[in-house]
Amino acid sequence: MTHHGLGEFEQLVLLAIAHLRGEAYGIPIVEEIERRTGRSVARAAVYVTLRRLEDKGLVSSWMSDPTPERGGKGRRYVRLEAEGARALREARHATERMWQGLDPASLRAR
Amino acid sequence: MSAAPAPPRLARALLRLAVPDDAGAAVEGDLHELFVAHRAESGAAAAALWYWVETLSFAMRFTLDRAARAVRGLVVGDAAPSSLDLKLGARLLAKSPGLAIVGGLGMAVAIALGAGAYAFVNTYFYPELPLAEGDRVVAIGKFDKRLRWKDKRLLHDFLVWRRELRTVVDLGASRTVQRNIGTAVGEGPAEPITLAEMTASGFRLARVPAFRGRTLAEDDERPGAPPVIVIGYDVWRSRYADDPSVIGREVRIGRDVHTVVGVMPPGFAFPINHQYWIPLRAASRAAAPGAGPELHVFGRLARGATREAAQEELSALGRRLAAEGPPALATLEPRVIPYVDVVVNGEVDGSSAAMAVLRFLIALLLVVVALNVAVLVYARTVTRTGEIAVRTALGASRARIVAQLFAEAFVLSALSAAVGLGMVAVALDMMDQFIDEVSGGRAPFWIDPGLSLGTVLYALGLAVLSAVIIGALPALRATGAQLRAAIGSLGSGAKARLGKTWTVLIVAQVAIAVAVLPAAIRQAGQMVRAAYREPGFASGEYLSTQFVVQRDADAVTDARADSAAADSLLAIADALLARLATEPGVVGATVTSGSPWEGGGSPVEADGVDRPPQRVGSLDVDTGYFGLFDVRTIAGRRFTAADAALPAGDRPVIVNRSFVTEVLDGGEPIGRRVRYRGEDGAVNPWHVVVGVVEDFPVGLPQPGETSSARMFHLAVPGELGGGLLTIRLRAGIPEAFTPTLRRIATSVDPMLQLSPPRSLYAVYRDNARTGVRVALVIALITGSVLLLSAAGIHALMSFTVNDRRREIGIRSALGAPPRRILASVLTRATRQLALGVGIGLAAAVAVDQASGGVLLEGAGVLLIPGTAALMLAVGLLAAAGPARRGLRVQPTESLRTE
Repeated sequence: MTHHGLGEFEQLVLLAIAHLRGEAYGIPIVEEIERRTGRSVARAAVYVTLRRLEDKGLVSSWMSDPTPERGGKGRRYVRLEAEGARALREARHATERMWQGLDPASLRAR
Repeated sequence: MSAAPAPPRLARALLRLAVPDDAGAAVEGDLHELFVAHRAESGAAAAALWYWVETLSFAMRFTLDRAARAVRGLVVGDAAPSSLDLKLGARLLAKSPGLAIVGGLGMAVAIALGAGAYAFVNTYFYPELPLAEGDRVVAIGKFDKRLRWKDKRLLHDFLVWRRELRTVVDLGASRTVQRNIGTAVGEGPAEPITLAEMTASGFRLARVPAFRGRTLAEDDERPGAPPVIVIGYDVWRSRYADDPSVIGREVRIGRDVHTVVGVMPPGFAFPINHQYWIPLRAASRAAAPGAGPELHVFGRLARGATREAAQEELSALGRRLAAEGPPALATLEPRVIPYVDVVVNGEVDGSSAAMAVLRFLIALLLVVVALNVAVLVYARTVTRTGEIAVRTALGASRARIVAQLFAEAFVLSALSAAVGLGMVAVALDMMDQFIDEVSGGRAPFWIDPGLSLGTVLYALGLAVLSAVIIGALPALRATGAQLRAAIGSLGSGAKARLGKTWTVLIVAQVAIAVAVLPAAIRQAGQMVRAAYREPGFASGEYLSTQFVVQRDADAVTDARADSAAADSLLAIADALLARLATEPGVVGATVTSGSPWEGGGSPVEADGVDRPPQRVGSLDVDTGYFGLFDVRTIAGRRFTAADAALPAGDRPVIVNRSFVTEVLDGGEPIGRRVRYRGEDGAVNPWHVVVGVVEDFPVGLPQPGETSSARMFHLAVPGELGGGLLTIRLRAGIPEAFTPTLRRIATSVDPMLQLSPPRSLYAVYRDNARTGVRVALVIALITGSVLLLSAAGIHALMSFTVNDRRREIGIRSALGAPPRRILASVLTRATRQLALGVGIGLAAAVAVDQASGGVLLEGAGVLLIPGTAALMLAVGLLAAAGPARRGLRVQPTESLRTE
């Protein structure tokens, strides 16, 4: 089993895919991240990340049929793979362990 | 209803180019969907703008991603290229020598240009001073607001600076003077030398001790101190034959006798390129601000002081001095500059921007060539898709394969870099010779024009860059989406396509070749023709030398005022010519402002001729010039002594035959008034034409000139303070007359200096040789463009034919005539060629017109269509081989392979 240390942006993209269930492709993924985080996202960055995640085997994709309103191109739908889900859980656990027992006072601005 | 709105076509093309195939369709579809929504919401223009911004963002991110992947592929452990890969690369090159030679040569020229520019810039613009802590040595000068070096008469300021500056120590000054050495009886003929009059602090600043004896000391600068001289190592070896007892010897310099007190070690030539040093007696002359000799001021930054701190102190001091000095000089600002900047024409920091642009352009050229070669290599790489697929199936990682292809490419690019560096070495050597020729062997001592380690490393870097472009990028493409398809169809013959990038490259290449070739052929041809043309007169009978009468009225060392004023210059030149006339073996002598080939070029207009001012070369000659060169007078008369007696502005002029046809429209020349017209339209006084001579010498116009028209002015020898002395001799080798000439010159005046005399034939040949060198460089560059275009077309055709083997086989099996098949195969190549030639033609005409016809000099009518035809022929020839191979395809064979 390979270990995937996920970057923050990779986590956001994977989580968006998970939220969208079977309806995840480029446009809704960007919208989902922007809606939930409230910050704007460089669209191209999402696509580059999707490609990298697929290379790592964390997601898989398939093309839908082309449609005229998309200039004769199909959609590339993305699905979270088991490996991707595990990587997300690991990332969450790692973060939670880091938060455990942290004195809130130590975060206060001096 | 109108057609469905589509995003900007160009942006879409860019998007397709930048985004890898596996992501391309989805990205394009998503952006299209959003574009339609944007358009409905905020209009067509805003949507198009939005689409462009997104496209650029995608292009940037995916390009960065690709680069990162390529680097990762090379760095990751097992993927690193091995020596086996290099061996394999060498073997593959040997297997396709055509690709190796064409691609290699193209890259070699590009790398040579890149590394050559790097070497040139670093040697001549950013050199290092080879002195201890050389980067702390500075020069101080006065500059105007545009940072131009102004007013070097710094004696007054220098004395103040030396007394008061704390941030700059060892402050010194020098000036360069020309003197004759060894003019005393028994010391042989006088020889002009260049001396540095320098303060003793110059030696202290350089931190170089004397090789023998001592350097100059402060005591030597005292008024009345005995004149001493320090000589350089080279002079000690050549003039004194390594004599260890040279210290204490006396030598006559100009009018004074100096005692040799020291010999400097090899390589020492501070302040610029000097081999003789005498004391500068700065303190003995009280100078008013802005008066006195022109000085070169230098110093060393004090320990802990920065150049900024020195500048601050100097500026404060400058403000005080400006208040005391004349108001005309108050606008000038004293500046501390790096020492090596003193010879770059006093321009401070001004050249760096231009240099950056130059470097960028040359890097761009390299990228274009490398991309070109990349496409060639790609064409080969895709034919190996099958092999790559097998290796992938056997477990080779993508990175491993990319690394292997990179190593193969690096073999080629490293060879090219080696060849390119060879070219750079030759070019630098030529440059060095050229600079020596034009400056009389006086390049600054910190200029070392050999190949430096930096240049070699730079070329190596270019080789790696090229290998990434020609090896790694095609490999990444070939191992991308296409590979997946190839693995899927293993055994059924892998296919790959050459897309639009290829078409654009070929069209651009052909266009550039057609646009550039006419001018290149014209200019190179002219230079070569000029080189092999005889000068048209007995140039081997003439000896010429540049002569200068040095006036040292402002000499600091000479306490007595020099009596040689303007009148004495005339007298000296007069005496020289008179002495030469009595010499047996001398036919005659003349003094001119330049050689017969020099012309310059200023616009001239004629009274009563209705045409715009024409560019005309001009030369100052004396009354004997035309007679000495046997130039035939066609109309009117030659210059006479009566003309010479007139004030210079009132003297008449003589013109040549071309002048009459080009400027006077063939009208009556004698008595006609002509005048110069300044570039800014300024009007000058009229001159009256009194004679017309035959065009002389043949071979006008010189390359780069548009006209053979010449106008001759009468100048009395000595009026210009010097000039080109040309002597016609009866027999023998002209150079053999040199010792006699030197002896005569010395006897006329010890301050009369002659440059090394040369026969006019040698002068002519040297000019021509420079032309041939330039022509060679032009030929090399245009040749490689032509070669690359032909190779590109050849690769394209090979590819097309391979791709269509099956179709060709079926068509010939069905009985299609070979001609039809050939035509259909050639269509694509022909279309691309035609498009490229069309664009190139338009560009060639536009460029020629923009240059005002100087580039092609009217030869465009023949050259431009000729080049176009040549390009078509080369392209079709390159296409013919693969096309013929296509025709030989056996139907049964091609079908069997499927």
